[in-house]
Amino acid sequence: MNPDFTQTMILTFQVAAITTIILLVLGIPLSYWLAYTNNRSKTVVETLVSMPLVLPPTVLGFYLLVFFSPVNPVGGFLDSWFNLRLVFSFEGIIVGSVLFSLPFMIHPLQSGFGAVPATLREAAATLGISRVKTLFTILLPNMKPGILAGCVLSFAHTVGEFGVVLMVGGNIPGVTRMASIAIYDRVEALDYATAHQYAFVLFAITFAILLLVYMVNRRFARMELT
Amino acid sequence: MGSDMNSIPGTIAAIDTDGNLSLVDIEVTSDFRMSALIVETPEHCPWLKTGHKIKILFKETEVSIARNLSGQISLRNRFAATITDIRSEGMLAEITLERAGHQVVSIITSRSAQRMELKTGDQVEWLVKANEVSLTGN
Amino acid sequence: MIQVHVSKRLHTAEGPMDLVFSGTIEQGEFITLFGPSGAGKTTLLRMIAGLTTPDSGTIIVDGQPWFDSGRRINLSPRRRSIGMVFQDYALFPNLTVAENIGLALPREKRGVIVGELLEVAGLQELAGRKPDKLSGGQRQRVALARALALKPTILLLDEPLSALDLQMRLKLQDELLRLHQRYQPTTLLVSHDLSEVFRLSRRVFVLDRGEVTRSGSPTEVFSQSKISNKFRFNGEVVHIKPSGVVYIVHVLVGQDIVQVIASEREIATLKVGKRVLIASKAFNPLIMPLDE
Repeated sequence: MNPDFTQTMILTFQVAAITTIILLVLGIPLSYWLAYTNNRSKTVVETLVSMPLVLPPTVLGFYLLVFFSPVNPVGGFLDSWFNLRLVFSFEGIIVGSVLFSLPFMIHPLQSGFGAVPATLREAAATLGISRVKTLFTILLPNMKPGILAGCVLSFAHTVGEFGVVLMVGGNIPGVTRMASIAIYDRVEALDYATAHQYAFVLFAITFAILLLVYMVNRRFARMELT
Repeated sequence: MGSDMNSIPGTIAAIDTDGNLSLVDIEVTSDFRMSALIVETPEHCPWLKTGHKIKILFKETEVSIARNLSGQISLRNRFAATITDIRSEGMLAEITLERAGHQVVSIITSRSAQRMELKTGDQVEWLVKANEVSLTGN
Repeated sequence: MIQVHVSKRLHTAEGPMDLVFSGTIEQGEFITLFGPSGAGKTTLLRMIAGLTTPDSGTIIVDGQPWFDSGRRINLSPRRRSIGMVFQDYALFPNLTVAENIGLALPREKRGVIVGELLEVAGLQELAGRKPDKLSGGQRQRVALARALALKPTILLLDEPLSALDLQMRLKLQDELLRLHQRYQPTTLLVSHDLSEVFRLSRRVFVLDRGEVTRSGSPTEVFSQSKISNKFRFNGEVVHIKPSGVVYIVHVLVGQDIVQVIASEREIATLKVGKRVLIASKAFNPLIMPLDE
């Protein structure tokens, strides 16, 4: 098999896996807060989280590019203090993917938290169980379908990411060239055979993942019924 | 509890107490006086006082019916009345009586009702033992 | 001793309603809050638990302020010594019976206390089961055992038996009494079932539209104690059977079913489940010694 193809596919799934893990770690506290707070800023935060659903990816990519460029104060700060350059780099596309897939993790988690009966949290409170212990022993174990949905949607969405990654990361083989960009690149070069190879593999994997989610969720639903 | 069992309003006319027992005379109307024997005394019961308005309660099944009653009888509560309704079903019969505008219901065996040939409009007497009569104060 | 003086405006379907409660509850007492749904009983329980915040007032438990609007004190439920049984039991579905009961306990004491509670509540066989594999009565027992695990000062019961059938309700009422005697928590029970009030509590507060309308012993509050009869009992109608012109009414008094003859007019005010006073003249009952 074409070493370029293998390299690109591995990179794509690496980015997706890392993005999903980061999103899960960030998403649990953020969606917990969104699900249970009465704070007025909730609406603003919810709106910001949902922006990537409607915003053209290139808009987000463009701003990230401007923002993280070494000539920008923020980019310059990161570059000189942490030696971290987020444009045209692996780290850069991770940051872009995390931001762009945020709603795909937050929404399932938030509705997952919302679906856990309020009395379970209240019962834990009357038993003196701390919020953190309640989160890990009561809430998260009772919202597995939501967690699974969040992870899978984030993963699949990151695999298929194009606009943000292209803007922030460019098309550097083995560093920022993800499968969706490779397809575009191959089509530009009129190499339809390779483009098809990428496209078909992405299609098949995405289908398989979603199929698995629906099957698992049906099993969860049945378990709750009995 | 008011209207379901035999329930007649009255005023306490006299109380005769002996130990824990009291024999209470209650005036319903000037010619309709009933007696009740109760385990209660005026000292312990705020409403058990002469002149107090109370309600007389007794179970339908404790009310006997007599016609042409002669000879001596220990019962203190015996009153002439008119039968206004008879309902008989199976073993028991429900006889509704009226005296001085007050309704009293008696439940006796259908056999007795037939033997006495009771029918609506008959003049009879109804009887209830004083120890079967309960009182309730306000 | 618990001193509660609280008020809160509630927004109900019939418009705003002011819930006002003022009362003192002695250590170890068993109190019921009785009244129609929407009277504010559950809200009052939740205010004592700290799950709902009163608009104003104080809640003082053994001299310690749990809530004081004037001094801006409002202890979180986690810091109040309470055990609560929710109407839906709120068992943790992902944990076993033993884990549910022991979750709040420090690890070193867990084994002993959970073991004891499993035994007292008759749940040993079910220790490893998840809540979805339990019957209603079993769930109720687990919820009660869990609420007692930390030996709380106050036990709050929000209609814990309302979802169960009569047989199970009677059985669990007895168990509740036994557990109360054993652990002696000050107990507040929300109920709209009169027989529960009579069987379980010494004192009852009747709430209606947010106000305490009556309080006292169940007999004082609910019985027509003005009747002269000395031979009288509180009971619950469990069965009504017609028999010719009369009816045979089966009444549950304590553990026994007694039968009372009632006329058609008496029946009009009765139905199964209705709490009743049955009275007879003290002259009527036969009395005889039992063989021992």
